[in-house]
Amino acid sequence: MAAQGVVLATRALCKRLGERPIVQGLNLDVGRGECLALLGPSGAGKTTLIRCLSGQLPPDDGQVLLEGHNVDVLGRSRRRRVAVVFQQFNLVGRISALDNVLAGRLGYLPVWRAMLGRFEPCDRLQALQCLERVGMLEHAGRRADTLSGGQQQRVAIARALAQQPAVILADEPIASLDPVNGAAVLDLLRDIARTEGVAVVCSLHQLELAVAWADRILGMAPNRPAIDLPAHRFDADTSAHIYGWKPEFGGIA
Amino acid sequence: MKPEPSHAVLQALEAHAHARTGRVGRRALRFSALLLALGLLAASAHIAQVDPARLITGLPRLGHWLATAWPPKLDELPIFLWRTAETVAMAAVGTTIATVLAIPMAMLASRNLTPWPRLYLPARWLLNALRGIDSFVFALLFVAAVGLGPFAGVLGIALHTWGSAGKFMADTIESAPLGPMQAVEATGASRLVAARFALVPEVMPAVLSSTLYLFEFNVRASTVLGVVGAGGIGQELKNSMDLLDFARLATIIVVILVVVTGIDQFAAWLRRRLV
Repeated sequence: MAAQGVVLATRALCKRLGERPIVQGLNLDVGRGECLALLGPSGAGKTTLIRCLSGQLPPDDGQVLLEGHNVDVLGRSRRRRVAVVFQQFNLVGRISALDNVLAGRLGYLPVWRAMLGRFEPCDRLQALQCLERVGMLEHAGRRADTLSGGQQQRVAIARALAQQPAVILADEPIASLDPVNGAAVLDLLRDIARTEGVAVVCSLHQLELAVAWADRILGMAPNRPAIDLPAHRFDADTSAHIYGWKPEFGGIA
Repeated sequence: MKPEPSHAVLQALEAHAHARTGRVGRRALRFSALLLALGLLAASAHIAQVDPARLITGLPRLGHWLATAWPPKLDELPIFLWRTAETVAMAAVGTTIATVLAIPMAMLASRNLTPWPRLYLPARWLLNALRGIDSFVFALLFVAAVGLGPFAGVLGIALHTWGSAGKFMADTIESAPLGPMQAVEATGASRLVAARFALVPEVMPAVLSSTLYLFEFNVRASTVLGVVGAGGIGQELKNSMDLLDFARLATIIVVILVVVTGIDQFAAWLRRRLV
């Protein structure tokens, strides 16, 4: 990736969880339209790193840069450029899919309008377009808690899109879904990265899916330095470094 | 045919059988707990001056009054209905004021939402104090402060209900799922906006339902507020009793029963539709 295409970067990032170091001196660049998979066993700190990248947790040392600006001091106008997708979807259950997607526009609204729920017509139009983008337009009026898991995650991605983000951070977005829905959600995320130029960072547990899906992989292991490499160079040795065991790699490596 | 149980299984079986019979010490403990409870009950009966003999000698008097309660005094019915309307109005206005005041207090008194964690405990204390003092006691104070009449009753109901409604709302907020709120905050919305967007829809049905319940409760509670001069049907109740006019008293009680039952039914129907 060319340097001017970098939207999310870390410089000498250090983060500890309690006493345990998660990352030490991490230098990471994620470019426009790039898909980065975070791999690592449970407890390696994938969630902590994602929370750190989104500015929900401050770094212990070093910097997280979003489009060249320090995430630590992001104002509202910058914060809305980072969208987060959760394992448990985190939709508001009792309101419609459309209203949930409109929440993605709240960062663009003056507070009084947000409090009254008075969205502009163009916000509604955009929210509907986002629902169409994820294939959920026909369910726009349904209450979120009546949708299936796969549908809910699609609505959550539409909410992320409504933020017009530079980066989508997804924390195990398919861990609560069956394999078919999970694969569809990953396809959707990659498609969004390619067509909208959004950088997608996604933590995953399924090795083979991650290798097939990502452009790059950041492998994290407890008490070891993270490895950053192109997905096609991920092999059994890298896996051994992260997980401590060598998988049988069908035809992938 | 089941296989022969292993030695370890047999040992575990014996151990569990042992545990179930219980040790002598534990039985003695249970027995003394029972004795203590009985002792406390006996002491309470003594302190409360429970005296069945007095009830027996008093019963004929009660029977005599009941006999004079018929026929009902319908000529004063318009006054009774007006006073009952006053009672219901006091409950309605008091409950509404309490609910409005309870919203900001509930936000302060919810661990997950409060903007100032330092005020969390004081807010809880205040709500508990308000809840701990009955509307009747507050009404007594307000009659002295603002004078006789239903307004004193409204204020009494409002203060007590403020505590109940605030505590209930805060508990509802604390048990609401946090994920949606966290997600809406992550879109760049402020905390207050996120609460309005993610929390209000989740807690609204429970809050509306509890408000209706408090209204029902307050209608029943405010029937007696007139006894201390705080307006409503209670005033007529007390007057009848002072005059030993049992026909009037019985008529009033029937009016109260009909109205309270009607409102209870209506509110219960409304609540079923909400949840």
